[in-house]
Amino acid sequence: MEFPAALFPSYFSAGPPREEGGPPPAVGWGEHGQVMEAGPCHRQGETAFVPRRGGLGESWEPADAAAVPLLPPNASCWISPLVPQDILHSSVLRRKLRTGKSTATLDFAKQLGHFFVDHPEDAFGSLGQLLHQNFYLGNSKLRRQARHSTIRLTALMEEIDQLEARRGCPQRYIIPRLRWFSHLCRDWLFEVPLGLLADCVHEELLQQWAGLLFDDSPTGGALTWLPPEDKGACTGRLVYPGGQAMNSLYFQDVVLEDLPHARGSPVQFELNGRIRQVASAWVDGEDFIGVRSDYHCGVWRVPGRMGSAPTPLQVIRTDVPASCLTVSPHLPGELAVCTQSGAVYLWSVETGLCRLRRDPQTMFFRDHSSWRWSDFTAHPRVLSCADRTGLQCLDARAPERCHFDLFKVGEEAGCRQGERVVLPMYLGRAHPSQHLVTTQFSVYILDERLPMVPVLKWTHMMKAPPLFAHLTPGGPGRSHKVLLGTSRTQELLLLQYQGKRWGFRGGSQSACQLVGPPQKLHSIAGCLQHLPVQLPHHHRLLQQRLSLPAAGLAAVLQEDGPRETLMVFQLSEVGDIFCQRLTHEAAQPPSPTKGDEATQPTPSLAVPSPAAALRYRRWLKALSKACRAHPQNPWPPTFSQKRLFTPRELETPAGPSALHQQARQQLRQAMREGGRIQRWDTPAPQRPPLPQPLEPAGGLESLSARLTATWSGDWSQWWEERSSFNMAQRQRALRERRRRQKQARGRRSLSASFTSSLTYQSELSELSDTVPPPPPPLSPTALPQEASGSLSPMPDEALLSSQSLRCRGIPKERRKTLRDYLSVCAEGPPEPPEPPGSQSGQACIPLSQGPSLSQASSASRPRRKRPRMGF
Amino acid sequence: SSCEHKLNFKKSKEVCLSYIQDAMLQKQWKRAAEFLTFYVESLEKDFSRQDVNPSEMIWRIGAEILWHHSHGSVKEFNSFIEQMKILSVKRYLKVCLEHVFHLLCHGLIDEAYQTLSLAESWRFGEQTAVQDKEIKLIQAYRGLLDYYSWSKKKNILLEYGECQDGFDDLSVEQEMHSCFRKAAVNLKEIIKVPGVWDLFVKCYVDLLEFYGAHNEARQVLNEYAYNSKFPANPNAHVYLYEFLKRHGESKKSLISALKILHDIVPSHELMIDFNTMLQKSKKRKNRRLGLEVIFAALDYAGWKENVKAWSCLARQVKQIVISEKHLDWIKQEWNSRKDWWPAFHFSRYLAKRNWQKNESLSYEKALVAGILLGKECKYFKYVSHQGCKAQMKRFRVLKKFVNKHSLVYLRISG
Repeated sequence: MEFPAALFPSYFSAGPPREEGGPPPAVGWGEHGQVMEAGPCHRQGETAFVPRRGGLGESWEPADAAAVPLLPPNASCWISPLVPQDILHSSVLRRKLRTGKSTATLDFAKQLGHFFVDHPEDAFGSLGQLLHQNFYLGNSKLRRQARHSTIRLTALMEEIDQLEARRGCPQRYIIPRLRWFSHLCRDWLFEVPLGLLADCVHEELLQQWAGLLFDDSPTGGALTWLPPEDKGACTGRLVYPGGQAMNSLYFQDVVLEDLPHARGSPVQFELNGRIRQVASAWVDGEDFIGVRSDYHCGVWRVPGRMGSAPTPLQVIRTDVPASCLTVSPHLPGELAVCTQSGAVYLWSVETGLCRLRRDPQTMFFRDHSSWRWSDFTAHPRVLSCADRTGLQCLDARAPERCHFDLFKVGEEAGCRQGERVVLPMYLGRAHPSQHLVTTQFSVYILDERLPMVPVLKWTHMMKAPPLFAHLTPGGPGRSHKVLLGTSRTQELLLLQYQGKRWGFRGGSQSACQLVGPPQKLHSIAGCLQHLPVQLPHHHRLLQQRLSLPAAGLAAVLQEDGPRETLMVFQLSEVGDIFCQRLTHEAAQPPSPTKGDEATQPTPSLAVPSPAAALRYRRWLKALSKACRAHPQNPWPPTFSQKRLFTPRELETPAGPSALHQQARQQLRQAMREGGRIQRWDTPAPQRPPLPQPLEPAGGLESLSARLTATWSGDWSQWWEERSSFNMAQRQRALRERRRRQKQARGRRSLSASFTSSLTYQSELSELSDTVPPPPPPLSPTALPQEASGSLSPMPDEALLSSQSLRCRGIPKERRKTLRDYLSVCAEGPPEPPEPPGSQSGQACIPLSQGPSLSQASSASRPRRKRPRMGF
Repeated sequence: SSCEHKLNFKKSKEVCLSYIQDAMLQKQWKRAAEFLTFYVESLEKDFSRQDVNPSEMIWRIGAEILWHHSHGSVKEFNSFIEQMKILSVKRYLKVCLEHVFHLLCHGLIDEAYQTLSLAESWRFGEQTAVQDKEIKLIQAYRGLLDYYSWSKKKNILLEYGECQDGFDDLSVEQEMHSCFRKAAVNLKEIIKVPGVWDLFVKCYVDLLEFYGAHNEARQVLNEYAYNSKFPANPNAHVYLYEFLKRHGESKKSLISALKILHDIVPSHELMIDFNTMLQKSKKRKNRRLGLEVIFAALDYAGWKENVKAWSCLARQVKQIVISEKHLDWIKQEWNSRKDWWPAFHFSRYLAKRNWQKNESLSYEKALVAGILLGKECKYFKYVSHQGCKAQMKRFRVLKKFVNKHSLVYLRISG
């Protein structure tokens, strides 16, 4: 294969990565990267340039509104997903959410407790049997004869129950009796020594937690498509795991018609463990399928002819869980196996296993992960070996001597600190010497002939690391399609890249370019909104089922004249398979991706086709039926709503009612104007008659008076009355206070009087500058005019401080009064001036008194500088 | 509560960004643009400034949307980018560079040249390492554009120089030389830095060769190919080989250049040339190397159906078998391949397919298979049978030849 005559320019430097932290958001957009001249024909005029990213790609439009179930649900498998709450300390979790810190504490005691409760036989079996006659749990008193061989444990039980009831209480104390009992029997009561058991539980917890953070066991994916030998045929075979524990391997014939559907019943093999990965390759007219579970790997062969039965060829067992299994695309019956102990094997069905390497350490720098991966390269005897730090190529004939570095997390490839290899894949079907490497941040395309320098790099911006990848090679002049899939978030991303340019005789090799915009495909969870409406708890369960992590990805290109369809299959962790289609009109030359709202329906409006809707209904029916059949499944019992309502009542109206439409119209109008909806109901006619306002009784409580006023609509008037009333009241109270201050002043020290003068000053400020009464707080029915600046609710501190007072323009004569007052104050007890409020005879704001609404703004806050005089 | 408020604000910003991402990933550019305006607004209101440079995000997202949504209107894009240049001072050079790329891809070479010149004169604060790299790239691209205008002028001169009808070639020549100077200065700078500079090296060497500076050109190419700080770029060796070939260098130096290429990329397409060159050589060592080269090339999956390579191998193997000398060469090569070549190249399935698709390929392969694996080999049997059935003379000759030398197979594998 030709090497491109020129590559895109790039800097090269060696060493550890320099850039820190994750990539900034949106970093994958808006960049061409580099450009180079498009062809060697620049003598005819202007030179044409092509970009490394952002060239014109093919336009693939989704044909479905959402992913459609391909097969009936694998209802026998219902794993409720592990959530952090299950294994973490709840209080810690809460605190963590509050502070944003990421230290997790595992709730070890709870898990151990669960074990004792769930498996009492395993935990205390023999001693329980021995002792059960000597422990009495009843309420009545023990008889005298029994007393010397039996103890009554009722009180202990009660205390345990109490302890449970006090869970979460901060003042938990240890009950002496319990303490005594546990001290006494800790050493002999347990079937398994407690220390050992605790170790095991802890280890398992740690493992579960690590898996929750990032589970790499499904890497590679457990779904694969076996294409028919004859390209035109539209029947292929899907290989996937299923069954109760995902331990059955199915070979299902699938017909790729408009909407792909299964034909006949699948061939099934029951295996010895949960299937983690299914890989396949087509060699010499036969399909070889490798299946990996934790401790077993197997290989099957399917002859190319349609309908021929798959035959199992060989199984190997590993002591350490296997982390990788790939099938050679070059030689029949050859596979590469890696285990978590760091060993890499070349496995040939004929000659058996051959170990190429065994190194528990990672290759380029130290990383704790024991994940290893291996894949094939352009040379059938050279294998690529990967760990989290990079890729190396080994010659299987002399693995110690002959190897070279293909990719390294480092400055060579422009990596970031903390970046790790997630999935390498050999792209032999697109180009014999190209490899794909995904990390949690970026996706790289490498060429074996130019190691260490990626020929293409793009920051994929996916929310989780892509664990699955699929390549659909494109012919000459066409782009290669790469699908990336994540597990936990079910994301699917379609990328296109091109390595060949248009030209005579199939075109010549050119440097790799990423073409067209990346495209997001539907996830399984996205079809929830198109499923028939469910009761809330069913809906929740359904949601849970649909949003389980993905476990595999496969795709197939179906050509039908000028029209091409890319069928994408996605497998969930519990074995449900969904598919979606993307269509491309090949007749038109690759046009600029118009991809606009005008050409495609917005997804919110798109409705599944009738065929898809039927699929959804059938799938749901099968799921609920299967759930009813298995009582252990958590589908709770329900009453049929048909018993509660007559069919007529249940009838849904044909369209939205008039009221609905009106409301919607109002909503739209309000949004357009940027205002708010003042009244939901229509203006006059529907308004309910106001109840007759109650006659205000003599000592009517102010709150009820206000409510009454509000109800009758003249609330603002009430407010005004109220505020003037309040003002009078307050003035009275102030006068009273001054009088008492006068009386008390004789007994005061100088310093105290100084403070008091200060507080007095602030008190003055309360009264001095308030000119008109405030407008009533905004009424809910009428939009008020904008309150004028000086009256807007101010923090009370600001109101009280003398500075703000000055700023807001206190009349000069009053400032003078103040100064006089202060100077007198420093010398000795002065004659108190008349309260300025009363002098001016103006209204003041009752900031802290009265049950008015302003309480909400001021009363809730503690008053600084509360006047101390008079106390 | 203010903390919560901040948290909510941050959250809503994140949600907004994810909406933008979603819309862009579904090619709903208009929707993304609408969301982007909201997002910009929220950035304006955000005084926390915890995030990474928001102006860079706006530039990236905005540029991507405009590529796809403005229907190729460069004017709109330009005005957006000009604003972005002001906004993100620290990324000014990067934005400029991307702007230039966009202009170049739309064929606006003069505008791109102006932008490059402007960017080159820009200074702001202390220059970081990244900025240093960017400014070098900017200069290099300017050099590249200078080179293109130089080569255009050169073509004009060559064209009109033949006509000789009062064409004012003096000024054109002067312009050409000034272009050369500008281009050479800038190109020379970038290729000193380790990197992949195929484009720049090619242009620079072309300039030097035109002005007769062969030694300097050779030095540049040698440096590019053999400096260990540079990545092992096969093209560097290819350019050197082509240069040597152009200047009629001796076979020996050509062979040594290709030998190094063979060592780093045994599957390079030049290996056919290398093999032919070695086969013609009188030295035994070279012919031996030739056999090694062609065997090594055919190990790779990309060469599986390459008729040229198979005919090279078939020719050489046939020569050796006829002369009955150096059968041990074949034996040595075959030793490390005999356990997997039969399945890789000579399976019955492949025989069938090669026969259907490419008869001459199956002929060459059958010859090699017949010699290496004997006449009972599946591949040879199938192809020779089909060939004889189709009454083709060369297949009958082939069958006779293999039958005659059927003992060779025992000596090779024994």
